[in-house]
Amino acid sequence: MSSFYSKKDLRFQLFQNNPVLTLSQYSYFKDHGKETYEMILDAADKIANASLLPYLSEMDRKEPVLENGKIRLHPAMKKILRQFGEGGWINAPYTYEEGGQQIPQVIQLAAGFIFQAANYSTSVFPFLTSGAANLIRTFGSKTLIDNFTPKMYSGEWQGTMALTEPDAGSSLTDLSTQATPTGEEGVYQIKGQKIYISCGDHDACTNVVHLLLARIKGAPAGTKGISLFVVPQKRLPDLRSNDVLTEGIYHKMGYKGAPIAHLMFGSHDNCLGYLVGEPHKGLSYMFQMMNEARIGVGMNATAIGTAAYQASLAYAKERPQGRKVGEKDPARPQELIIAHADVKRMLLFQKSIVEGSLSLILYCAYLSDLVHVQKGQEREASRTLLDLLTPIAKSYPSEMCCLTTSAAVQVLGGAGYTTDFPAEQYYREARIHPIHEGTTGIHGLDLLGRKVIIQDGMGFTLLMKAVGSTIREANVHESLKRYTEVLSHYQELSQKVTLKLVEKARENPEEFLADATLYLEFLSIFTLAWQWLRQGISLKEAKENGQIGEAFYLGKMTTLEYFYEYELVKMKALAEKLTSSHFPTIKMKAEWF
Amino acid sequence: MKILVCITHVPDTTSKIQFTDNNTKFDKTGVQFIIGPYDDYALARAVELRDQTGGELTVLNVGEAETEPTLRKALAIGADKAIRVNAFPKDAYFVALQIAHYAKEGAYDLILMGRESIDFNGGMVHGMVGELLGMPSISPVMKLDIEGQSAKMAREIEGGKEYIEVDLPFIAGCQEPIAEWKIPNMRGIMSARTKPLDVVETISDETFSQVNAFQLPPAKGAVQLIDKDNVEELVRLLKNEAKIL
Repeated sequence: MSSFYSKKDLRFQLFQNNPVLTLSQYSYFKDHGKETYEMILDAADKIANASLLPYLSEMDRKEPVLENGKIRLHPAMKKILRQFGEGGWINAPYTYEEGGQQIPQVIQLAAGFIFQAANYSTSVFPFLTSGAANLIRTFGSKTLIDNFTPKMYSGEWQGTMALTEPDAGSSLTDLSTQATPTGEEGVYQIKGQKIYISCGDHDACTNVVHLLLARIKGAPAGTKGISLFVVPQKRLPDLRSNDVLTEGIYHKMGYKGAPIAHLMFGSHDNCLGYLVGEPHKGLSYMFQMMNEARIGVGMNATAIGTAAYQASLAYAKERPQGRKVGEKDPARPQELIIAHADVKRMLLFQKSIVEGSLSLILYCAYLSDLVHVQKGQEREASRTLLDLLTPIAKSYPSEMCCLTTSAAVQVLGGAGYTTDFPAEQYYREARIHPIHEGTTGIHGLDLLGRKVIIQDGMGFTLLMKAVGSTIREANVHESLKRYTEVLSHYQELSQKVTLKLVEKARENPEEFLADATLYLEFLSIFTLAWQWLRQGISLKEAKENGQIGEAFYLGKMTTLEYFYEYELVKMKALAEKLTSSHFPTIKMKAEWF
Repeated sequence: MKILVCITHVPDTTSKIQFTDNNTKFDKTGVQFIIGPYDDYALARAVELRDQTGGELTVLNVGEAETEPTLRKALAIGADKAIRVNAFPKDAYFVALQIAHYAKEGAYDLILMGRESIDFNGGMVHGMVGELLGMPSISPVMKLDIEGQSAKMAREIEGGKEYIEVDLPFIAGCQEPIAEWKIPNMRGIMSARTKPLDVVETISDETFSQVNAFQLPPAKGAVQLIDKDNVEELVRLLKNEAKIL
């Protein structure tokens, strides 16, 4: 099998394109440096190659099964989970006092990128446990932290997020799982059901710890009445059943190695849940953590897109087919398909999206680290810019990697449609990301309806400032001026379109938000173009310093050119629609379909 | 027990190999370096033996300052201390001379290294160190157990295995499956930062050979897929294009 990611690009993105190494100036990260980060990436690469990649297609073909009320996983998963736990990967960013290593999020995410590109299913388990444990350690009592997190960190217990119900998915306002006080402080009887719970039950761990949203009896209606609970599958201290039953398993389109379950809580009125933090604040706790998870989802999509790109690139370099345009002699040997312009277009499309997305997501993770260590106004600025970029970093890679993995299948032609090659699996595995952790539609609404307008548009202003600063920096390099001129033009267009839309917010909210998803795409393309210009500057500097070779430099500079020639221009059409006064999507009625 | 493991600092196996200065120098631009894979097996077994028997595990590399991250990786995997002999590894004899000098002073019970490096693939250093120290040198060792002052091992030979018993101290050139490669955990990575890494100067500049130039193998031809039922086409291509029939 070909390489599933580019080590060279990952390092360029971390150490030349993003100021990750400057994080060590903050006391929280002072013990780290390039040497430590290299070792972490190296260890992640070894785990990915030795333990994850070998099961990529096997886990797809032998999906988990529900037997006698228990979900049985691929047998390799138990060892893999233990490896993540014993290796310290689940709690690496947490403090030394908690047993963590105070690793920056950006490095943790980069290591995750390697795992996800090798075998996305296997990476889901520790990712969820880490997120669930983070909720407990951030908002839970000392007792909850002491009781639950050590075995979650060691990989012995699985963590989950139990949010969705049959009648409450994107709209959590309507969730109905009930929590009834038992009389003991912080302990409640839980009753209800949850669906689509990733890793909600399986045999590779000894307990599952659900971070569950429920409504305390008598709580106010709507999102303000939702509380967060720790609901273990087995109750402490003797690990007896906590009345959490696995009702069913869903058969998914992709990432089949990780199960999603339908769970029943309290069918026998004997399910205890432990309140996390204060009552009625569950959703706000959950959303604080979700921002990190959303950047993680963007990274998942990027990793899968990267693996598909690498697989199609390797194939294109081996497969002879056809001859150069104008070559009529059938006796002449065939060209490798990578010689054909249209195949190169498909490869450049993939490369421009996955490497542009990687640049954006690592930048966001770096901002997240700054938010952790900065103070005062600096911190507020980093947080506001990160908040604005989060729906973009989640949604654009998720949507686009559905298209890039499709392009990967296309490069392989008929072979790509068969299970003899991994491209079709990547195509299926990419499809979940525009759906989970908030659909693209929800993120469009979040971006235009909230992030762009709150604090008098501070987030949008910070983005424009950051882009302006990149443009000024790039103008120093003669060969980048061509791109700075174009990006300046689209910056003006972004501002005009945004202003026109925001003006509508009060007079006609329905029209204002009708095309929020298109606005998300519009601003995402602009953001990626900015990231590619950032990369252009970094490439110039790295080349001058002898940190990268000629082929790497030329390959990425040509990809920058591709993005500006083929992708950025799409903003024109989107701008036209976004400023149009016609709304067939509003006008259309259900009975007319 | 005192164990010395000698490691090489070599390009990642996926690196694109190129040369500069009229094919006399390796182009390191953008190349990732790793512990030599065979040395990594030796290190993995050494960590296990150190954990079983107690004692100290030292890792050594003959190289310039750029090899220190590779030594730190060995410390993260489990070595207790590291030594860098401050010199470019000119040839096998030069490297063996430095190792032998250091090993003699350290009085090691066991000296392990890979059966060969994966850059120059000479496979000579362990034998030379044995000769210089007057110790047995055995390679390629694929199984190694220590019992008191002697060791039992299996060595790969043409068509089979040879089982050997030898008294300590000795030198072994190792290969798989002597142990599974060890992947450092986060704690190991963090502790590697503070473990001692000493730099020592060379004992001698003596070499037996010098490299005049390198040459890359010819580029691989394109793959052609031929239908399994189309034997005539296969024969035609083997005759007319590959010209091997």
